This record gives sequence, C-alpha cells and structure tokens, in this order.
Amino acid sequence: MTKTFKGRPLLPGNAEESAEVSRVGFSPSASYVDIVFSGSKSGVIKDHENKDLYNRDIKGKILCLPQSIGSSAGACMMMAAAKADATPKVMLFANHVDSISACGLIMADNWLGKRIIAVDMLGDEFLDAVNTGDKIKVSEDGTVEIDN
Amino acid sequence: MSVTKTSQQANLEGTDVNVTLTTQTGVSKKDAKPSDPQPKMQLTPEEQEIYDGKKGDLLQKALKSVIQYGEWFGADKLVDLNGPVHMAMSWGSAAIEPFLEIYDKFAESGMKTYRPFTSDPKPMDHENLDPGEEKRKAVAETYPNQERLEKLYLKLGLVDSDSWSCASYLPEAGNAPSKGDNIAWTESSAINFVNSILGARTNRNSMGIDMMCNILGKAPYFGLMTDEGRKGKWIIDVKTTKRPVGMLLGSAIGLKVLEDVPYVVGLDKFLEDLNEEQKISYLKDMGAATASNGAVGLYHVEGITPEAKDQGRDLLVDNYQTYVIDDAELDRIYNSYPDLWPDHNKGPERLFVGCPHLTVEQLRFASEKIESGLNQAGISKPALPVYLFAGKKVRDAFVERYPKEAKYLEEVDVNITHNCPMMYLQTPKQSEELIVTNSNKCRVYSTARFFFDDSLMKVLTTGKLAPEYLKEQSKDD
Repeated sequence: MTKTFKGRPLLPGNAEESAEVSRVGFSPSASYVDIVFSGSKSGVIKDHENKDLYNRDIKGKILCLPQSIGSSAGACMMMAAAKADATPKVMLFANHVDSISACGLIMADNWLGKRIIAVDMLGDEFLDAVNTGDKIKVSEDGTVEIDN
Repeated sequence: MSVTKTSQQANLEGTDVNVTLTTQTGVSKKDAKPSDPQPKMQLTPEEQEIYDGKKGDLLQKALKSVIQYGEWFGADKLVDLNGPVHMAMSWGSAAIEPFLEIYDKFAESGMKTYRPFTSDPKPMDHENLDPGEEKRKAVAETYPNQERLEKLYLKLGLVDSDSWSCASYLPEAGNAPSKGDNIAWTESSAINFVNSILGARTNRNSMGIDMMCNILGKAPYFGLMTDEGRKGKWIIDVKTTKRPVGMLLGSAIGLKVLEDVPYVVGLDKFLEDLNEEQKISYLKDMGAATASNGAVGLYHVEGITPEAKDQGRDLLVDNYQTYVIDDAELDRIYNSYPDLWPDHNKGPERLFVGCPHLTVEQLRFASEKIESGLNQAGISKPALPVYLFAGKKVRDAFVERYPKEAKYLEEVDVNITHNCPMMYLQTPKQSEELIVTNSNKCRVYSTARFFFDDSLMKVLTTGKLAPEYLKEQSKDD
C-alpha cells in the first residue's frame, strides 16, 4: 500500500531508497562522534541514547525524523559527516526544520557541494506511517510516497 | 560540543533543551504548514551584486547561505547589522574542522567581521583551573584545533586575546549592544540577555551562519528581529511568597514555554530592594535558565525590561496563555532535577559558581558569602576546591573595585577562572568529576548537582553533602 505525504522541499531532489526512522530527536553531535574523533567514514550512528538508530548504518538511506536536537555544534558534525560522504541521502522532517539541521544542510550544500535532499513539515502522521525498511520515493516538489 | 549524558537524563523529555523538540531559533514554528506562503528574499542592489558573484565567490556563498537560512524560517529581507559582534564557537575540537577551512578562506582573503568581536569562553584555563596532568592530556587531545582557532579569530577580528567570555555584554567586557541594535549572535544566554535586558535584536542563530552574517554585516529579518516576533505569548504570573531563586524561576519558565516569548508579571516587587547591578545579575541568571531548560531567546519583565516599560501589556498577543508560578510549583521543579552522580553519597570534588560568567557584583557577593560562611564554621579555607567563573576583564574590574575582597579570595584559595564551566564538564575525563553548583545551566549540560546558595555553603565548609541529600543506592545504579 502506498501512502503519500506532501512537505516543503528545502533542498529539492528526487530519490528512492529505504527508510531509517528515528522517532525521537536526531542528535548529529552524538551520532557522528566517530567521524569527528576517530576519522571514520562510516554512516553508523553512535548515539546510544537513540534506540531507533544506534549502531545502524544510515549512509545513503532516507532518514525520517521529527527534528534534530542536541548541541549547536551539531551543524559542524553534519558538515564533517558530509565531507566523509557518510550522511543519509535524504532527510525527511515531520516538524519544521530546526536551526541545527538547517545550518548543517545549507553549509554542506553551499560550501562542500554535498547535497542532502531535505523536506520538512511532513507532519506527525508521516512519522506514524513510516517504518524502518519501508521503500520511500521522494520527489523534488516535496511529495513523499511510502510503500509498506 | 558533544554532551555526555546518562540515559536517565536523556529520557527526561521536556526538561532539557538538548532533548526537547524546538526549532532552537527562539521562534516556535509548531503551527507552520507546508502550504503557508514561502517568502522569497527581496534583495537591495548591493545585495544583488554580491548574490550575482560580482564581489567574489566567498561573499556570494556566504550570502546565499544566509538567504537560504532566512527563507527557511520566514524572512523576506535582510537587515544591516549595526551592533557589537559575539561568536559562540570557542573550542577547537576536531568537529569544527570543516568550519575552520571556510574561515581560513575568509582570513586568507583579508575579510573580517564588520566590527571586532568577542567570543564565548575557552574550554580550558589551566593557570586558574588545573585539572591535573592526566586530564590536561585529555584536554589537549579533545581540542587539537584550539590554537588554530585562536589565531584565526585574531585575523578575523577578535577584539584581543582577553575577549573570551559568554558575558561579554557586561559593561566591563565592553561589548554591549544598545536598544534596537540589529545583531546576529549564537550564544544562547547572551542572546537572552541582550534581547531582554538591553533591547537589542537577534535571533538564536547557528554556528557558521553567525560568521557568515557578521562577515556580510547582514542578517535575515525574521523572528526575534521583528516587532511581531517579540510579542509575549505567555503571561508568567509569579505568585511566590518571597523572591524566587532566579535560576529556578527561569528553569520553570523555560520548561513551560519552550521557545515562546514569556511576559513575566509579579516579579518586579521582589526586585525593588536590589540595586541595578544586583538586578542585572539576577535577570542574567534567570534568563540563562529559560534558555537552557527551554530555548527562550527573549523575555519581558513587567516594569523592568525596556520593551515592557515602553509598551506594557500591549506587548502580549491576543491569545496569550498563562502560567502561574507559586512556591509549590517551584518545589515541584526543583524536585524533578535528576541526580546523575553514579555514587550519590560520594563527596563532591569541586564547587563551581558562574555559568553564565559572573558579574563584578556577583564576585563581590561570593566573596562576602564565603567569608561569612568560613567564619561561622570557624575554618580558614574551603573544604574543597572552589572556582568562580568570570571573564578576564570582569575579573580585572573586580580586583580594581574590590581589592580587599579579591585579596581575601586569593588568601582562602578560591580561584577566579575564565574557563567555560560547561565545556570543562563536557571534556572527557573531566566530565566524570563530581561537581556541585548553584547554576542551573551548568546542571542542565552536565552531571553537576544543583544546590541553593545556603546548601552550597554547607558543602563548601564541610566538603560533604548534607544528610538530607544522601540516599540509599538503588539496585539500578
């Protein structure tokens, strides 16, 4: 069954990939510690407080999240992950984007030439409907289709 | 800076800005919909030239980043900045490498911020707060880019090498904006102070975007920079029987309003007997707690803060909500603070006062309080190492204005340090230390335990927690 949602395309693009779902706030500063401090290029999430993503490799996947949380250094961490090509391909926010992710997404796009497709304001129903492993199609107009 | 937390603290959704879902800009967007009209930034001819690349690739990228950031949060124009500059990125961890590479390019091109800037405090001050040899090594490993950052900041416009404090807006630190100044800051407690107490206008920006704005001298016009965004969404009705502890009151407000603007009533009568410096100190600490337990970027206090004085309750939106704070509510908040020490009954290792950094008046008060406490206890020195955190320029002003008190602190081995207490407690190995504090912000961002001044004084004179704070270890510990 396909469920369709429409959000605001922040960094538009088309993509099809499987979902990785965080039902709690996603903390870039806690998630990417290995990339920053150990020089890892892995997309494995190291935030042990995030039970949904801990030890899962989200590189190249479609990350579904409510919003990001954590230290304002999170934007630096997202930049470091983008530089290591370890980020998700797409970030789908249920809520309005927050300043941590906004800064990380914009800086990576403009200064590193690494685009992470981003759509926000997909609503709580979106997070209720999606599960890790679902196939997702994202269109550049902000339409998101979940196949589950 | 990565924040080390236990699962106990991380599970306390709504008690900590680090786990609370907000936009962190100081403007709630919870009612926003994708179908809302999306602004397109209107540029001046000068801005258009930069946008078109006529002033070079670097400024073009900086402007595009600032425009994009603004449009995402509803800005339809940029405003020229005209006040002091302050930066929040003050630690040289490996995480900041991508930003340093960008900042290097600005410096190599001879660019500076539109005015000289101050910065948040550094993560180390080994001269005044020496963690010991092993921990010094951990500090060096955690912040390999510290020296590079400091040199780079001097090239980009740092006022001088003594300009590292989160309270650079204090008169002695010399970087206070005036009412109505447009600025682009990132440090949450400083934003909260300058917006609320000084009437300046800044959003809660992000690191990176702040440097772009201040190189350009422009910021996106939305949120707390607008008249509409500065209106109160809540009346906070203070109905306590005595002046509430500022940090606790701020904590309660932040937890309730998250990132909305509160308009506080009933507090002015409790501040009447304070002189101007004491009032400023109280509001600084109260505000910092609203910004760390919530994401408050601006508050108004009836009869006290400049916009509340000018506009009174006209500052409120029509459909404001009300939150009554009485003694019982403050007790509830205080009792909800978690105890994150692995051994609840072990003696504290250090005592920290001053997050955000202290004012001259707070240094004087601390000296008076410590002297009186030690005299009453009949001892000559504190029973554990005590640190007062303040910017270098504030410390120098304190020494000049209150030489007797400064000498006393030195004699009883109380240290005044310009270290950032929060970063001290987020640095590996140091983060394991058992710290007591009267700072709610310090508590929120670390495992430090919060005590009111009188209880803290008992710890200072005994080196131990009072019996009422000891408890049996639970099986889960």
